[in-house]
Amino acid sequence: MQHRILIIDDEDDIREVAALSLETVAGWEVMVANSGAQGLARASVYKPDAILLDVMMPGMDGPTTFRELQKNPETAHIPVLLLTAKVQASDKARFADLDVKAVLVKPFDPMTLSAQIAGVLGWE
Amino acid sequence: MAGVMNRLWVQFLPLMEERVAILEAVAAALAEGALTPDQRLEASGEAHKLAGVLGTFGLSEGTLLAREAEVGLSGEPETGPSAARLAEIGAQLRTMLADRKP
Repeated sequence: MQHRILIIDDEDDIREVAALSLETVAGWEVMVANSGAQGLARASVYKPDAILLDVMMPGMDGPTTFRELQKNPETAHIPVLLLTAKVQASDKARFADLDVKAVLVKPFDPMTLSAQIAGVLGWE
Repeated sequence: MAGVMNRLWVQFLPLMEERVAILEAVAAALAEGALTPDQRLEASGEAHKLAGVLGTFGLSEGTLLAREAEVGLSGEPETGPSAARLAEIGAQLRTMLADRKP
């Protein structure tokens, strides 16, 4: 089944690697946004099946973007997976307060990223 | 997927080299006692980005080195990495970038 994913990440390289990984390996339809604000707008219009959301972004960071997504009835139901290079214990505790589906750690393996996401979301 | 990754490597290599250059500049400024808090913050952010991306391109050791720089630069200056260690990390990262063939 072809799923639709929105990737929100300000880093061009990570965003493009993730997008091409999900398109090439899994055959999913991918849309990207380079900021939290752009991500909110695209999520509302595009209504993806899931969102892969970077934590550290200038302006609106990942947790703030997530909370805004939750406030909007059009996007509140969309499962969100955080993507972060922060792996310290204090960061993990901060993410634990958020009702996200999973926290995926950078760097990721482009060959298995889609399987990770599918596993978390129960997609076949 | 390997072909896609190699294309992206070529596309983003200049960006990664710029990030390493920032770490090298910070090491030099630290050695001269001229490192500003803003430079330190910027370098920590660039190290964070390197840590996130290098392993994705198969450079796991690069991720560890960049993470060491990020953590060191994001803490108190007194307990941060020495100028020599930062310069060493920068040099090792630069070598890794140069040695990885598309």
